[in-house]
Amino acid sequence: MKVMVPVKRVVDYNVKVRVKSDNTGVELANVKMSMNPFDEIAVEEAIRLKEAGKVEEIVVVSIGPKAATETIRTGLAMGADRGILVEHDDEIHPLAVAKILKGIVGEENPDIVLLGKQAIDDDCNQTGQMLAQLLGWAQGTFASKVEAEDGSLNVTREVDGGLETVKLNLPAIVTTDLRLNEPRYASLPNIMKAKRKPIDEKTAADYGVDATPRLKTLKVEEPAAREAGIKVESVDELVGKLKEKGLI
Amino acid sequence: MIEKSHIDHLVSLLGPECATTDQDRIAPLLREWRDKYFGHTQLLLTPNSAEQLSDALRYCNAHGVAVVPQGGNTGLVGAGLPGLANRDEVLISTQRMNKVLDVCPNDYSITVEAGVTIKEIQQSAETADRLFPLSLASEGSCTAGGTIATNAGGVHVIRYGSMQALTMGVEAVLADGTIYSDLSPLRKDNTGYKLSSLFAGSEGTLGIITKATLKLYPPERHRITTWIAIDDINSALNILEKLRDVTADRVSVFEIMPHSGLELVLRHIPSTLPPFPGKEFPWYILAEIGSSIHDPVLEETVEDCLSNMISNNQIADGIIAQSEQQRLELWKLRESLSEAQKHEGGSIKHDISVPVSQVPEFVKTVAPEIEQRWTGSRVIPFGHLGDGNLHFNVMQPSTMDKQAFLANWEEMNRFVHDRVTDFSGSISAEHGIGSMKAQELKRLKPASSLHAMQMIKKALDPNNILNPGALFTRD
Repeated sequence: MKVMVPVKRVVDYNVKVRVKSDNTGVELANVKMSMNPFDEIAVEEAIRLKEAGKVEEIVVVSIGPKAATETIRTGLAMGADRGILVEHDDEIHPLAVAKILKGIVGEENPDIVLLGKQAIDDDCNQTGQMLAQLLGWAQGTFASKVEAEDGSLNVTREVDGGLETVKLNLPAIVTTDLRLNEPRYASLPNIMKAKRKPIDEKTAADYGVDATPRLKTLKVEEPAAREAGIKVESVDELVGKLKEKGLI
Repeated sequence: MIEKSHIDHLVSLLGPECATTDQDRIAPLLREWRDKYFGHTQLLLTPNSAEQLSDALRYCNAHGVAVVPQGGNTGLVGAGLPGLANRDEVLISTQRMNKVLDVCPNDYSITVEAGVTIKEIQQSAETADRLFPLSLASEGSCTAGGTIATNAGGVHVIRYGSMQALTMGVEAVLADGTIYSDLSPLRKDNTGYKLSSLFAGSEGTLGIITKATLKLYPPERHRITTWIAIDDINSALNILEKLRDVTADRVSVFEIMPHSGLELVLRHIPSTLPPFPGKEFPWYILAEIGSSIHDPVLEETVEDCLSNMISNNQIADGIIAQSEQQRLELWKLRESLSEAQKHEGGSIKHDISVPVSQVPEFVKTVAPEIEQRWTGSRVIPFGHLGDGNLHFNVMQPSTMDKQAFLANWEEMNRFVHDRVTDFSGSISAEHGIGSMKAQELKRLKPASSLHAMQMIKKALDPNNILNPGALFTRD
């Protein structure tokens, strides 16, 4: 089998995000960028499937600026086989991403597209589902467990009510949740090997996709600062304050 | 006992807010976190200004009342606790002097009151897009004043120096109540003795620091963090040399720990993962290269440098963190070691340094000597290899009673300190002397140095009221 793993370059999870002074977006200049953590889990899962002998090839795809090559290299250093960079400098939204991925699927014919359930920058949680619709494939979203059988996948999903297990006929889309696995470190020998793995460079136009955003961001603002708390002297005062605010 | 008249006078001088005899309020400041020392005192002063402290010290000096200053109470040598060895001492905490006074990005300086924590200083610097580089395990509690008086070190000393190097000026109240003040951010000032430096490592024996001006640096917005496995500790020096060379000397961290240390961490600390699953190596290095800009070329240079060293067998294996999350995971392996040791049982600790070039030889020679002499003990040397500072800790034999093992503390200290001296090293690299190592200091410090220290002490504190138990022995 062949697995395709789309990965997104995002502001590192542990970086304190700052809103630009003109409120058009968040500050990206000289900010630490890393692979979207959900996508990292997807790469790890693909590698585990390969190590289990279920998968022969893993292709990592990223749509973004030239620097997204580094994100692809991270995937290759973890153990993926080759990469595709769709170079795109401007803002891009899930539907355009899904259309480009559909184009790549048409050329690569993977059996599984394994991707993060959402990216931590825009939190859209749409790309996997849109891609499933565009391709007419089965989808197992929010996966916390993936088991490959002949011609199908058993995917355990994290849903509001608990866990739900679905059986998907291949080809299929799987989106990953946090508890699926613990991604591995990139070892030095593998980082060096990754430098020799091929990365194809494409553009949205190569797949006939118009990636112009359909949504316009009007304004980005910091959330309101949390108000300072107060100290009360007694239980009576506490109850009084809660009543005053209409909370009890 | 401190005379009641002195206590009453000091309380009336500072007022009930800033002076208390309430043992419930005092008690938390008398406990040391390792439970090695328990202080006692009748009176706690928490002055909110140098002027208030000056009034108090003038009175104490005139009446021979001894005082012990305390910052965050994170010290490891008993230097900040009053009443040890049954002395009568007033505890003076800087906790009320807790304001950041000025951050000047263009001077690359920050001026703070003595009771501000290192963490708060780091955060204030970050807000101004600057780095305050001192970083140590207790940074959330330890204070500017305490770290200067201890001349604390931590993990960034290889690149930025210890607290002494980061201190541009101090304000301090001397024994007679004089307020010495030099908070200038001048980088060059050759107008006589650099008196502010005198307070570094003074442990509260020369004056009580009330404010400080500290150095800031450009931020390390991007860090390359690597966890390296080596078979022979000798390779560590080659790796350090190569990394400093190829990164234009931007190595900010260079820490070492043995496999036995990693094992303790994985065994005792939750959510820690082995960096090399299924593989073991004798030694690990945590190295970090910091840069204010994102520099892919620098990353590639480091990768090439390290992989070349794999090719010529200097490095056995390695990891480079691919995200801040992975970086923090690797750091946790190093930073949890002290705590993991605590869970494992008793350990006898040595905070030593030797010249960097001597670290491998010291470890290879002295660790087997100890393990032979104290059968079943396990030496777990770890720490800041980049600046020659090792925490040369010795774990108890697993079958031995903890207290029985700890009874060897002083004898083993003397043995290790003798060997450190043979290697031209220091018996206290970053924790200080306090009362814990005062005897050892007297035994091993050159007589001429001790003499000069005593002359300075006598000149500034003739009545010996400032932290009389620290640094010097009584006789």
